[in-house]
Amino acid sequence: MKGKLATFFSNKQLQVILYSLFIIVTSAALYFSQKSVVSFLLLLSSLLILHFMNLKNVTKWIVALGLLFILIPFASSGGPAFQSYMEVATMVGIYISMALGLNIVVGMAGLLDLGFVAFFAVGAYSYSIFATSQASNFMPFGNFPLGGESFWGFLIVGGIMAAIAGVLIGVPVLRVKGDYLAIVTLGFGEIIRIIFNNGDRPINITNGAMGIASVTPPEIFGMTLSFPNQFYFVTLLILMFTIFAVLRMEHSKLGRSWKAVRENEIAAQAMGIPLVKTKLLAFALGASFSGIMGVVFAAKQAFIDPTSFTLMESFTILVMVVLGGMGSVPGVILGAAVVTILNLQVLTELTNWLNQLSLSGVLTIPDALSPAKMQKFIFGALLVAFALYRPKGLIPAKNKIFDVKKLKDHRPDHLNNDTKENSIPIDKVQV
Amino acid sequence: MTILEVTNITKQFGGLTANKDITMNVEEGKITAVIGPNGAGKTTFFNMITGVYQPTSGDIKLDGKSLVGLRPDEVAKKGISRTFQNIRLFGEMSVIENVLVGMHTHLKTNLIGILLNLPFTKKEEASAEKEAYRLLEYFELDHLLNEKANNLSYGAQRKLEIARALATKPKLILLDEPAAGMNPKETKELTEVIKRMGQEFNVTVLLIEHDMKLVMEISEHIVVLDHGEKIAEGNPEQIRTNPKVIEAYLGSAAVH
Amino acid sequence: MLQEILQSLPQVLVDGLTLGAVYAVVALGYTMVYGILQLINFAHGEVFMSGAFIGTAFFILIMGMGWASAIPQFILLIIVLILTASITGLVGVGLERVAYRPLRNAPRLIPLITAIGISFILQDVVRFIAELFNGNYIVTGPSLFSEQITLKASAISSIFYDARFKTSFLIVLGVAIILMVALDYFVNKTKWGTAMRAVALDRETASLMSINVNKVISITFFIGSALGGATGVLFAVQYGTIDPYIGFILGLKAFIAAVLGGIGNIRGAMVGGMLLGLMEMFASANLSLLTGGVFGAEYKDVFAFAILILVLIFKPEGLLGKPTAEKV
Ligand SMILES: Nc1ncnc2c1ncn2[C@@H]1O[C@H](COP(=O)(O)OP(=O)(O)OP(=O)(O)O)[C@@H](O)[C@H]1O
Ligand SMILES: [Mg+2]
Repeated sequence: MKGKLATFFSNKQLQVILYSLFIIVTSAALYFSQKSVVSFLLLLSSLLILHFMNLKNVTKWIVALGLLFILIPFASSGGPAFQSYMEVATMVGIYISMALGLNIVVGMAGLLDLGFVAFFAVGAYSYSIFATSQASNFMPFGNFPLGGESFWGFLIVGGIMAAIAGVLIGVPVLRVKGDYLAIVTLGFGEIIRIIFNNGDRPINITNGAMGIASVTPPEIFGMTLSFPNQFYFVTLLILMFTIFAVLRMEHSKLGRSWKAVRENEIAAQAMGIPLVKTKLLAFALGASFSGIMGVVFAAKQAFIDPTSFTLMESFTILVMVVLGGMGSVPGVILGAAVVTILNLQVLTELTNWLNQLSLSGVLTIPDALSPAKMQKFIFGALLVAFALYRPKGLIPAKNKIFDVKKLKDHRPDHLNNDTKENSIPIDKVQV
Repeated sequence: MTILEVTNITKQFGGLTANKDITMNVEEGKITAVIGPNGAGKTTFFNMITGVYQPTSGDIKLDGKSLVGLRPDEVAKKGISRTFQNIRLFGEMSVIENVLVGMHTHLKTNLIGILLNLPFTKKEEASAEKEAYRLLEYFELDHLLNEKANNLSYGAQRKLEIARALATKPKLILLDEPAAGMNPKETKELTEVIKRMGQEFNVTVLLIEHDMKLVMEISEHIVVLDHGEKIAEGNPEQIRTNPKVIEAYLGSAAVH
Repeated sequence: MLQEILQSLPQVLVDGLTLGAVYAVVALGYTMVYGILQLINFAHGEVFMSGAFIGTAFFILIMGMGWASAIPQFILLIIVLILTASITGLVGVGLERVAYRPLRNAPRLIPLITAIGISFILQDVVRFIAELFNGNYIVTGPSLFSEQITLKASAISSIFYDARFKTSFLIVLGVAIILMVALDYFVNKTKWGTAMRAVALDRETASLMSINVNKVISITFFIGSALGGATGVLFAVQYGTIDPYIGFILGLKAFIAAVLGGIGNIRGAMVGGMLLGLMEMFASANLSLLTGGVFGAEYKDVFAFAILILVLIFKPEGLLGKPTAEKV
């Protein structure tokens, strides 16, 4: 029975047919029954199924891009809930990108950073300050607010500012031994928030606790972007860039040096890997992804204040990484999606549902227990449960599989004339 | 020609003098061994050469240039590589990735190259992978290339550490008890590998080993430490018959 | 400027000592656990917070019983301290069993993550219970030891202003000092204290010497958490109002105090706690003055973290700790 089932599921054609059916049904359900959050979630989960399917990587990417760029926005567009779906999807994209950034630091380099949201804040404030009249309070030249076209440039500026913040924090912090790092980064996360919170004196740079409102919306080809479905595509493009960049890094000299540092600092050093520089690079690159999304976030919300960048946000991103699987790119993507949807949709839906139940007198749940308030408990339980029972997360990190054939065929030139006997002296020894 | 020149180095840990005023040379191309009873200070000596500890006093020169004050990664770049007494592999990484990490300093690509996957990066990476594979073949680990280093047997882990160290293309390789925990067959194979390694990889070997058979068979020069001090130095024959050495190993009773 | 600083000095000292005493006792919990397991028990701040809530609940409960109002406040305090300390002590033991012991051989990142998780769970469970019974998670306890005392510092020298405090200040300081002295005696003079130091020095050797390492670790958690819980009670008595989130930042500060004194070093934690409390109060009173109004008291947390970073960079072994080098 088991064998039959296995052959059934490994049958490629069947898989593809079932999968297509699944997509058609869920997207049709979403299109025609707009309130159906379930079909929206199922449609999103088709991406996860795709990950596990027995297809070529290129095929998977093409299908995924098709789903993300065409089908999901189209299927959601059938009614009034369109913008709210797109809003959720945009937030998912923003968090995935951040979680991938943190994954470089925590998952690959093994550095527990508990103040990661600081870099998101740096990105968000970089844009907000210059895309409002805030900047005229301290800039000796220039005309503020800057126009909406500046948004695109600020994606890069935000990334760079966050990377610089990463280095500034990293330089003192990374000399500190392992465990303390968590505390020190947590401290820095708080420091940055406190600075933004009090940055209205002596010169009003950040407008303090009041926050910065009316951030100029992005503009492209004369079109102003202000709706979630527009930000969805911006976010998606940046996210794709992030994923490609992260995958490239992972399987390069860089990714290996991070993992080596994580696995054994002393041995990594003995192989010529400079510890501080390598960790700093992880910090800076991880931070930059967060900073870029900070710019998007600020533009999307059109308003930011320090309450968006609390410790809890840092922990939320950490939960995403731990839940998905530290060091695992697909895992972290899944983790970020699950946690964001849990936060934005499932918990609120559940709360509404329970409220309705108690209104209609079916059962009464004390307000203290309302799911929306239980976020901390749920996160805490997830962290503990995963650390104890599944420390490698939902989709554990995998090492790249090297193909022996490719490694054997073409020897480097200077070795080509080596005969096999010469190159493997051990054979002779064994006798 | 002298490749490594150690002059009067001393290392103190608080009140404990782990190395006291040691002077010795390593000749290029010759296998040199450092031996001595447990706690004699051999590993500490290696740690100072590789920059893990800084000597309290004295000087260490590679090809005439001082290594004192350099960080371990800087020492590695100057051409000294090592293995560890308590194996320090990158456990969660695959066998071939461990070797690839060893090649780190020889890969010249940069962030742009990596992000854009430029042809230069691709080519460099591909040839590094092939080279790493050849090293694995040399140590008969090629069939394990995709295995996690943690899952290897003890003997295989020791071999992998040597392979990884060689991947840095060192001038001088330091092996800290390479045969520890190996069975006699594995030890015999390893002995042969170490013997040939010098020539084939153009590297000078300096090793610590407790297995006297191995040491006597392959060393051309032996330095004996006891209680942090150098008590003897010479070729295997001289060491075998040196009463001080016998005393250090067996206690004074054995001499008389 | 100097004059203004001096004027406020007596009050700064009083407030700083109160806060410092709280930091010091909580820091003990961090330092003991770190000494033995090389683990930052992130959840310790939450144990402290739970202590504050449990203590307040006992106060409300006992004082609600009519006959109990006859009990002198001081006796009442002692009863509540003992009850609360026992409960939080057991919470600590349970915490170690569930969240840390199974992970003793896991990569070091993992227990840190469970610790954060446990923190969250404790915060939310306390919030939930408080909200359920009180309607609001911010709880104000009965006011105890609240007579105002004025320290006539101006009588010593006219440079100073008078300092004012509640009797509870003396209680907090007194109890904290008693707890610290008792702990110091326990660790240095008793059999289990010796076992504890042995395990901290070298766990493997200690277990070879037939010391029951697991039991020692449990005892360490019990004592550390009992002290933390008792301090929570003191905190509630001194400051009156508590919420489930007081433990996190206070715990961090206490940890900073432990690092400042030399992590793993019990007397170091006491010194570090007192010092940090004093410095923080000094900073929050004078930061604005010293920086010409650029930085105000709201930067006092920044100040504490700056101390942590400076210590870690320039004297990572802390004031009373001994430098160590990792063996390779
Ligand atoms: N980081 C350190 N701090 C304090 N003492 C140390 C340190 N490293 C080594 N020692 C001490 O120095 C002495 C020499 O140790 P070392 O490891 O060099 O000996 P060894 O000759 O390699 O012994 P073995 O044969 O057992 O490996 C020992 O007493 C050891 O405890
Ligand atoms: Mg040794």
